[in-house]
Amino acid sequence: MDVAVQSVTHSNNLYNLFFMKNSPILTVTDLTKTFPSGKKLLTVLNSVSFTINEGNSCAIIGPSGSGKTTLLGLCAGLDKPTSGSVKLDHQSISEMSENELTKIRNEKIGFVFQSFQLIPTLTAIENVMVPIELRGVPYKEVENQAKELLKKVGLGDRTHHYPTQLSGGEQQRVGLARAFIHKPDILFADEPTGNLDSETGEQIESLLFDLNKDQGTTLIIVTHDPNLAQKCNRIIELSKGRIKSDTSDVPVVEEAAKLGVD
Amino acid sequence: MNLIREFFNSYNWKLAFRDARPQWKSLLLYSSAVIAGVAALVAILSFRSDILLTVDDQSKELLGADLELRSNQPFPEPVIAFIDSIGGSTADAVEFNSMVLFNESGDNRLSQIRAIDGPFPIYGTIESEPAEAARIYREQGSALVEQSAMNQYNISPGDTIRIGNIDVPVAGSLVSVPGEAGAFSLIGPRIYIPKNLLDGSGLLDRGSRVQYKSYFEIQNTEELSSIVEAFRPLSREHRVRTETVESRKEDFEAIVDNLSKFLGLIAFIALLLGGLGVSSAIYVYIKRKTSVVATLRCLGMSSEKILSTFAIQIAALGFFGAAVGTGIGLLLQLYLPTLFTDLLPFDIVQAISFQAIGLGLFTGVLISIVFSLIPLAGINKISPMLTLRKIDFSPLSALSKKTKILTASITLAVLVLIIGFLTESFMVAVVFTAGILFFTFILWTLSGFLMATVKGLRLKSLPYTSRQGMANLFRPNNQTSMLVTTLGMGMLLIGTLYLSQDMLLQRIQLQSGEEMPNLVFYDIQSDQNEGVLQTIRDNDGQIMQNVPIVSMRLASRKGQTVSEIQADTTMEIRNWVLRREYRVTYRDHLTESETILEGEWIPEADGLDSVVPISVAEQIVDDLQVELGDSLSFNVQGIPVQTVIASIREVNFQRPEPNFFVLFPKGVLESAPQFFATTVNAADEDLAINIQRAVVSDFPNISAVDISVALRSVQEFLDKIAMAIQFMALFSIFTGFIVLASSIAISRKQRTKESVLLRTLGANKTQISSIQTTEYALLGLLASLAGLILAVVASWGLAYFYFELAFVPDLVTLFIISILVVLSSVLIGWTGSRHIFKHSPLEILRLETS
Repeated sequence: MDVAVQSVTHSNNLYNLFFMKNSPILTVTDLTKTFPSGKKLLTVLNSVSFTINEGNSCAIIGPSGSGKTTLLGLCAGLDKPTSGSVKLDHQSISEMSENELTKIRNEKIGFVFQSFQLIPTLTAIENVMVPIELRGVPYKEVENQAKELLKKVGLGDRTHHYPTQLSGGEQQRVGLARAFIHKPDILFADEPTGNLDSETGEQIESLLFDLNKDQGTTLIIVTHDPNLAQKCNRIIELSKGRIKSDTSDVPVVEEAAKLGVD
Repeated sequence: MNLIREFFNSYNWKLAFRDARPQWKSLLLYSSAVIAGVAALVAILSFRSDILLTVDDQSKELLGADLELRSNQPFPEPVIAFIDSIGGSTADAVEFNSMVLFNESGDNRLSQIRAIDGPFPIYGTIESEPAEAARIYREQGSALVEQSAMNQYNISPGDTIRIGNIDVPVAGSLVSVPGEAGAFSLIGPRIYIPKNLLDGSGLLDRGSRVQYKSYFEIQNTEELSSIVEAFRPLSREHRVRTETVESRKEDFEAIVDNLSKFLGLIAFIALLLGGLGVSSAIYVYIKRKTSVVATLRCLGMSSEKILSTFAIQIAALGFFGAAVGTGIGLLLQLYLPTLFTDLLPFDIVQAISFQAIGLGLFTGVLISIVFSLIPLAGINKISPMLTLRKIDFSPLSALSKKTKILTASITLAVLVLIIGFLTESFMVAVVFTAGILFFTFILWTLSGFLMATVKGLRLKSLPYTSRQGMANLFRPNNQTSMLVTTLGMGMLLIGTLYLSQDMLLQRIQLQSGEEMPNLVFYDIQSDQNEGVLQTIRDNDGQIMQNVPIVSMRLASRKGQTVSEIQADTTMEIRNWVLRREYRVTYRDHLTESETILEGEWIPEADGLDSVVPISVAEQIVDDLQVELGDSLSFNVQGIPVQTVIASIREVNFQRPEPNFFVLFPKGVLESAPQFFATTVNAADEDLAINIQRAVVSDFPNISAVDISVALRSVQEFLDKIAMAIQFMALFSIFTGFIVLASSIAISRKQRTKESVLLRTLGANKTQISSIQTTEYALLGLLASLAGLILAVVASWGLAYFYFELAFVPDLVTLFIISILVVLSSVLIGWTGSRHIFKHSPLEILRLETS
């Protein structure tokens, strides 16, 4: 990574050091995932280990086929590893049943998808309300909250529009609102600006980090976009299923000293 | 349990509704497949309910009285005394068949004569034209003649008819008789005359089968029961049968029950096909929902919640389809009576049957749910990872073998339960379900084979539009197999019914022909025989057989009298073989219709005093429980004759000539009271009419049957039955067309995209239309081929194993049926694709980015 990126990342680490909580929210230990491919076994992830603390934002980058999406899916409990473990908020999710994972997803995890993944038959506000309504909370009780969120993302007057009536950027805003409505502990974003033009993408990124700052959610983003990666506290680079580099490996104390911070 | 709980979760209902809301029109299509089947079922169940209601309402008219006594002999003194003791309003009738000469036209026809004394019918009225004829014919000493015969022979009120020795003026035409269906007249026209005309007519002096009946009005049911009970000993002793309104009602209800169960089963086939259609449509629906389900899993919705949300949608869709079907069924209920009008003895009283409605709705919903189980089960296999990865997910292939077997078993079990409930027989349900599954499997396999053939035939030499049309049958998410199977099943049903009816008629017709008799005369007395034969010869008739017939009754079997056998509860010998009047002949040779199976044919015996070696037909051997060497004794008009079974014959009773259960050798019965039957071959129809006319005018008591007229009557009767069955079978075809229409609608977006793309690439309207025509014509052709091939195979099986006929299918008719199906398929396809030309090529860009 170039020096400019490194320095930004180091500043963010210092920020974390002084202002964020330090307890781990996501712990990945020797995570391995293989897929059968014809007669062979394809190893997509190979003994990956890292820990992410609460409140941090982490970008996972790497070329196509490096295992980013697989890693994201395993961290979010969307899939089971071949070996290794994932702990989310001190709970091992690798051995959980699907019902237990469902509960975790509803209570602790938010998702933002590259292809927005809105339910085409629900309006914008209905899409946003799904995670809360799934808990049995009546429509009326969550409606205002959803409206506020949509207003925050700039869609206050589009609450009753269907996804087909919204542009790509607008759909992703709805996706963001949905991801944050239940105040998740951790948010996973898979190429959140991948299907958007650069200007719209920047707006979405801005919203993503603003909402994140508001709620203090831990943010894990898979991205190709180096600008987006730079905005995160930490960057983990994958290559051929392994961690190639991890900006958290740069000692924070050294950096603090360099900057003259005690 | 969780799943059941989730089914009642209000959020799931909300989500089901919200999800369905913007796409409700297309969703309704998914359930449309059950409409025809539910309509047919509700129609039949409602019709059955109407008939039973009418029977209940008009039960007394069914019999025309509260009690009927009948016998083949005039009532003996003890019976008359009993009748006199009953008192109250009574009527008498004497019924027999006789030739009737229509004096004005000179035509004659074997007719059913009913000679009436007293106020018959006691309940209900005979309808006549003019109306007063039914009231006054007895007073006037005139006749009521069947309306169809009046029309056929150009008879008007005032004309005369000759019955026996008497000329009777015609008071009017007989329109209907309470308790008798119009189809009765196919046997022979009914003619009502006053009973007092029989004296001097010469009809009963020499006679064949005569039925003597008495009718009674006994309003009090307790009194009626005690009368029937008190009469029982006399009934047995003098062979006088009793019938009450209740027993007639029970018999009738049993017939209606069986008929409606049979027709209901045919209707159920349409419902089953609809279920297959729903299954296929829901499969496509679930596949399209893969992304949504994966997203919901990511958002924390449990699999039970998701499953129950879609189950709610499917149940609602099923209810809608069933509701529409029920509505149509109720409309059809109004039309069904016209199909059966000649077969029912009353005008039907119609009412809404809530039971039929409830059953229709329930069955429609249940079928929709049950046939959606397999695709629904696939929902559990949709991984949340599918939000991140784009994989072509198939709900079916993702299921484990165990799950597939389990859900298929549940589906089958529910089917068996429904059919068992409808037919009130578990065995019928199992056999029927197995049969349907078997044929569906065969059809599916055959359609797969035909489709593979089409796939392989996409020759480069064919024009592009043809190749593209063929390829369209195999587009992703196509329902081609399903369509070919459902349409094909309808074709199989209709084809088999049509070919079987054809074969049945052929079978009967084959028994007639140049070498076969086409006229039969019977009730020829001994002193008339020579005269009749001479008359026939004088009129150029070829005498095929002249057969003496002696009437006798079975006195004992293997040393036991008939009464002893009937009293012995351990013996299960059918009553009809014990009590019937045997009409027996004697000769020294066998005819072409007879083959000895066991024993030896003895052509001559040593007179009445010996034990006569007889031959019995195999048809009564089981019922009489006898074998070679067993002894039977007969009462020949008061004289006992001892016999032994010397041989057992196979008899072809289908041949139009006298055939006998019991055959005596020569040398025994020559002196016994007897009458003759003569079979004649006339070269053409005119000759047959002349011969008939000559014989009947010289010998009015003799009855004649024109085989070709009888065949026509049978054909007409079969046509009526067949029409009703084919009407129900048509619902299967309708279901096939509905499934086709809904499949076209379901794939609408995809086809729009394809055609807009083609237009972008430069295809014109004609080329696109040509592609569509090829696609739908081929679909119709595959379906009719699959169905008709199986129909031919099934009919061949029937011909070879059951009818024992050489099977020659009517290829012209089959070809016409295929063309009709192909044309219908093309028409439905065009109708569903009209919108395609409304989109401009520019929209391809919008379709790409949306």
